[in-house]
Amino acid sequence: MDATVVIFLLIYLLTILISATALTPLSLAALSGALLTAWFGIQYEVFTYEDALSFIDMRLIALLIGTMIVVEIAKRSGLFRVLALYAIKFSGGNPAKLFVSICVVSAVISMFLGDPMAMLLMAAATVTMTRVLKYDPMPYFLSATVMINLGGISTLIGSVSNMIIGLEANISFTNFIYYLTPCEIMLWALTTLILYTLFKSRLGQKGTLPDLTPLQSITNKTLFYRSAFILFLMIFLFLTLEKLGVGPEGVALGCAILALMLSKLDPAEIFRELNWETVFFIAGFMFIVGGLEKTQILKNISTWLFQIAGGSPSNETLIILWFSGIASTVVSNTAIALTFSPIISSQTISGLNSPAVWSALILGTNLGGATTPFSGSVCMIAIGALKREGIPIRFSDFAKVGLITTVLQLGFSSLYLILRFGIIGV
Amino acid sequence: MIDLSRIKKWFNRRKPKRERTYEEEKREFEMAMGQPFISIKIEMPEGLEDLRAQFLNLETDEQFLEEVKDLIKKNLSYKRRGIKPPS
Repeated sequence: MDATVVIFLLIYLLTILISATALTPLSLAALSGALLTAWFGIQYEVFTYEDALSFIDMRLIALLIGTMIVVEIAKRSGLFRVLALYAIKFSGGNPAKLFVSICVVSAVISMFLGDPMAMLLMAAATVTMTRVLKYDPMPYFLSATVMINLGGISTLIGSVSNMIIGLEANISFTNFIYYLTPCEIMLWALTTLILYTLFKSRLGQKGTLPDLTPLQSITNKTLFYRSAFILFLMIFLFLTLEKLGVGPEGVALGCAILALMLSKLDPAEIFRELNWETVFFIAGFMFIVGGLEKTQILKNISTWLFQIAGGSPSNETLIILWFSGIASTVVSNTAIALTFSPIISSQTISGLNSPAVWSALILGTNLGGATTPFSGSVCMIAIGALKREGIPIRFSDFAKVGLITTVLQLGFSSLYLILRFGIIGV
Repeated sequence: MIDLSRIKKWFNRRKPKRERTYEEEKREFEMAMGQPFISIKIEMPEGLEDLRAQFLNLETDEQFLEEVKDLIKKNLSYKRRGIKPPS
């Protein structure tokens, strides 16, 4: 193996290791890796400075920042809190109804909000609600964590990994929905059923809910209605993208500017609240993967992957689903999406069912994030919040729920891919 | 039990922003779900500067907090009956 390939692979593996063990902030690990990649790449003439400038996909960064701005303003308006309060109100204090409401609303909120922010919001809702009703918080809390990880599989803006895969594979917002919405709905139902079965005996007795008027919690009604309008407008424009001839990043940035103008909030304050760590992590990691791509190693991995699948596209689809799903339990799913996207892109195998393979990667990267307490930021935030509230949790309690749901979700997804894309015998 | 040291470290690094967001959201939910509360800022009375430490400790002094709660109860009871609370 070429010395430069070894160096680039080492940089990549070191960055993954540091990210997985949280030794340094994710952004710093990726940016340091990018710096080393740039230095070695240019020094050993693997790529030129001009090549390096194209490693970072500015469309992805624009889509990410645009969506973050729109969602941050919607969050500030209290839109997602009102949704959560309506879900609680709908239950009428019935524990089974409340449990299902919390599961559904957690998944819905995470379709728009980033998982860490969705978790903070649902943690606050769950802690308060279970205290008022004197319920054991654990079933509601763990279920919200699992459902937040699950929510947003079938939309381009549902998670950062979806944005990465969607832009790389050129999957439109409507195609995302077309390929994956049936699977997401069935996964919601299946997961809620599993969680209900696991926690049935711990949900508590029917309690009396206080008289809730969710809209009263909104202090700025103008901001609330305007941000709701912009969020719906953004989704509508995503759905009609093909007719507009504009990329999703254009829609996201346009709506972000509109949101900043209409909200009358201080843009500097909004910019401060954005998740810059994710943006810089992605930029740095894209650079590392860009360097690897130039060494042709990803193309070789792509060929090797097809070989170990016995030359069968259906086996390869399932291998990608399970490998990305298992890898996402220990490594950031963003890193997995950034690594696998060019690998799949470089495949020029006849008979390969592209939508099936991309859907497998989308499902795999999304499903592994809530398996153990260390699987992702959403789990760490959940446990941090539990600890803060003085609610003890054992590793085994979390892992039991996480493992059961992840394995069943991956198993169901395999079945879905086989039936939906007809990959049997291909 | 889970070894929380790694999680603690991770959470602490993002503590200021995450904690603030969590507390803000919790406050909003508590307000909406029938457990409203108030936070009062009280400056240290003049002439008692030598009791700075004792003054700061009042924030967590349970007996003192109970007395404040009683005072609030009395004040609100007067208001319910339309009587001006005694000063």
